[in-house]
Amino acid sequence: MPLGTLDRNPPPFFRQGTPALTKLLFCAALAIFLMVADARFKLANPARAVLALALQPLQRALLAPVDAWERAGDYLRGTERAMAAEDLARRQLVQQAERLSRAEQLQQENQRLRALLDLRPALQVPSIAAEVLYEAADPYSRRVVIDRGSRQGVAAGAPVINDAGVLGQVTRVYMFSSEVTLLSDKDAAIPVLNTRSQQRGAAFGGLDGGGMELRFMAANADLREGDLLTTSGLDGVYPAGLPVARIAVVERRGDSSFARVSLRPVAQLDDVRHVLVLGPVQELEKVRAEAHAASAAAAASAPARGGKHSGAKP
Amino acid sequence: MIMPRGHQLLLPAKPFFIALSLLLALIVDMVPVGRQPWMPDVLALVLVFWNVHQPRRVGVGWAFVFGLLVDVQHGALLGQHALAYSVLSFGAIALHRRLLWFGLLGQAAQVLPLFVLAHAISIAVRLMVGGMWPGWSLLLAPLLEALLWPLASWLLLAPQRRPPDPDAHRPL
Repeated sequence: MPLGTLDRNPPPFFRQGTPALTKLLFCAALAIFLMVADARFKLANPARAVLALALQPLQRALLAPVDAWERAGDYLRGTERAMAAEDLARRQLVQQAERLSRAEQLQQENQRLRALLDLRPALQVPSIAAEVLYEAADPYSRRVVIDRGSRQGVAAGAPVINDAGVLGQVTRVYMFSSEVTLLSDKDAAIPVLNTRSQQRGAAFGGLDGGGMELRFMAANADLREGDLLTTSGLDGVYPAGLPVARIAVVERRGDSSFARVSLRPVAQLDDVRHVLVLGPVQELEKVRAEAHAASAAAAASAPARGGKHSGAKP
Repeated sequence: MIMPRGHQLLLPAKPFFIALSLLLALIVDMVPVGRQPWMPDVLALVLVFWNVHQPRRVGVGWAFVFGLLVDVQHGALLGQHALAYSVLSFGAIALHRRLLWFGLLGQAAQVLPLFVLAHAISIAVRLMVGGMWPGWSLLLAPLLEALLWPLASWLLLAPQRRPPDPDAHRPL
């Protein structure tokens, strides 16, 4: 029946088309196939990317009313709040300037010490600034969508941070946007280092109320409430030394040989606007290895050239 | 056609209006208000409505396609909403001959189990794959959807209630 015409025929008695049950069985089988392909084999990503690209303009257009609503709220709350925010930002800027100068000094000192000890130089991580567009509406996970995608150089697996600390990791990359899985997601895991006791552990998301949990810590481990946990850099994903969370509650029970440690993420995971996407550390290592090889080759060829010159001179 | 006594004879539904209402519902679902488990799924409601009123035009296939779009937009497991909507649509088509003999509240009471079933399928699929428990406020979603049923019926049937020959006194 062509679209745009009215259905003026009486409903047919016998020719009802494909029975709904047949259609349901077919669609259900297809849906289950897609789910397995998506969850187990990651085969559905191209299809997802195509659909996401098709829906993209509509999504951006729909952000406008939500943004306008928020902006209207800001406007109504008046200039007082804006001035307070600016004041806070300025204070933070001053603090950071002081910290920055100290950090530069420390970095130079660190470089000298590393050179003395013949250690590898610490990583310099390239980064992409991005804005959080919206929270993904799926209530079974904790994800946000950012406005930078594969065209801007975001890669799957890249760590995402903000000024406070680690937020999570890029898990799906589309052309002009990406999905970031937050640390509070049930599937998120991050290796951490207790800065006070230098004890390593693994933190997992999925606690109620957006918290995290430090698992597999012995009941007598040296843990105190308020300890800062930073990334340990062991996983090859997150660079070392980024703040992750603080210990909120340590519960030592008699019936278990492990302590239950709940953590409070340092960054406000659900309420962020501006984030920084870092390059994945593995690629950095590759780049650095290449640079190292190139410099070694240059160093190797330099004496050879020198030798040639010296050989040509006499 | 056999009709309940006292019902108004409706104009035929325009396919353009059906498509428009489905797209508008998809757009309403796509408005990025964040992660609200209790948010009623307007697209599911409109799909069920057209499945009940026009089962020959909007069937299980369209429900599946719209489900896939919602999956991509929500960043959910691909096929989760597609499966839920397909089952929802099948239930609605199985119900459609009986449902229109009831009043609006009676209809709402009868579509409520459909919505509950659709959400239950979503939950079962996601918890099996390893998702998080979204919180008890999720129970509100099917209830709100069923409560919106009279409103949806009133709105979506409005174009068909117009008189067949509009004149100066009855512009609509």
